[in-house]
Amino acid sequence: MTNLQESTEQAERKPARFVPGQPDMWVFVLFESLLFTGYFSVYLIGRIQNRDLYLHAQADLDLRFGIFNTIALLLSSWAIARCVQASREGAYRDALRDAFLTIGFGVAFLVSKVIEWTKEIRLGNTFTSNEFFQHFFFLTSIHLLHLLIGFIVMGVAVYQLWSPARRSQQLVETCATYWHTVDFLWVLIFALLYVVR
Amino acid sequence: MTGTFNKRLAIVWLVLTLMTLAYIWLDHSADDDGVYRASTVVTVAAILIALVKVRIIFREFMEVRHAPALLRRLTDAWVALMAVCLLGSYFIGSALAG
Repeated sequence: MTNLQESTEQAERKPARFVPGQPDMWVFVLFESLLFTGYFSVYLIGRIQNRDLYLHAQADLDLRFGIFNTIALLLSSWAIARCVQASREGAYRDALRDAFLTIGFGVAFLVSKVIEWTKEIRLGNTFTSNEFFQHFFFLTSIHLLHLLIGFIVMGVAVYQLWSPARRSQQLVETCATYWHTVDFLWVLIFALLYVVR
Repeated sequence: MTGTFNKRLAIVWLVLTLMTLAYIWLDHSADDDGVYRASTVVTVAAILIALVKVRIIFREFMEVRHAPALLRRLTDAWVALMAVCLLGSYFIGSALAG
């Protein structure tokens, strides 16, 4: 019995080096960031070919939405990082709370994004208005699609944390890795759409 | 254990948020009475700040700093690759546009 306990404890102890979550998710993360990087390059080159048009159109964006959205997603990333650590230490009640907090900050991002879109469309800036807004609506909607998938992914995390019969730490970490990707892609999109001149 | 970890995560979030707020200042620095002006300094700074934020998210939030060397090197290489692609597109595009 003591031996069994010792070996269980040893197995539960964190190894010095470990890949967070399933390696397949990391392949996906690297692939997605490459895809987005390619698109960012197309956007930057397009921008330079038509500088004045982009600058003029960009002036219609409200930086406050960009800042709010970035901070909302950073908060959600922080919450899911806490969730992973809590779950690793067996504090499942805390982990669940942090998972719901992550979803909450994600919803705040979603709502603010929809308000921003509505505002831009009311100003007359739609997908077909000009090249800048074409990039703007394409990038933000592709990103929002990733966020919506993120809600499903968070559903998986909550499902794992809910019942003692499940609770796979690897799956929780995999979900977190996906969610952080949604966050860092937004960090790049925000800088490129709102701040770059 | 949880205490120190959570404190570290909170500091990471604070640093990332302060870097985000730095954009407010950067955003207006090149403009002329609300008229947007092209600026290489603002563009390069905005891209570099974003890439540093991405690396911090990789290392801290995504726990890459505890990961095997392969993943650490791979994610660093990716950030470098993004930097080359983004800055490269900007500078090559500028050179072509004259």
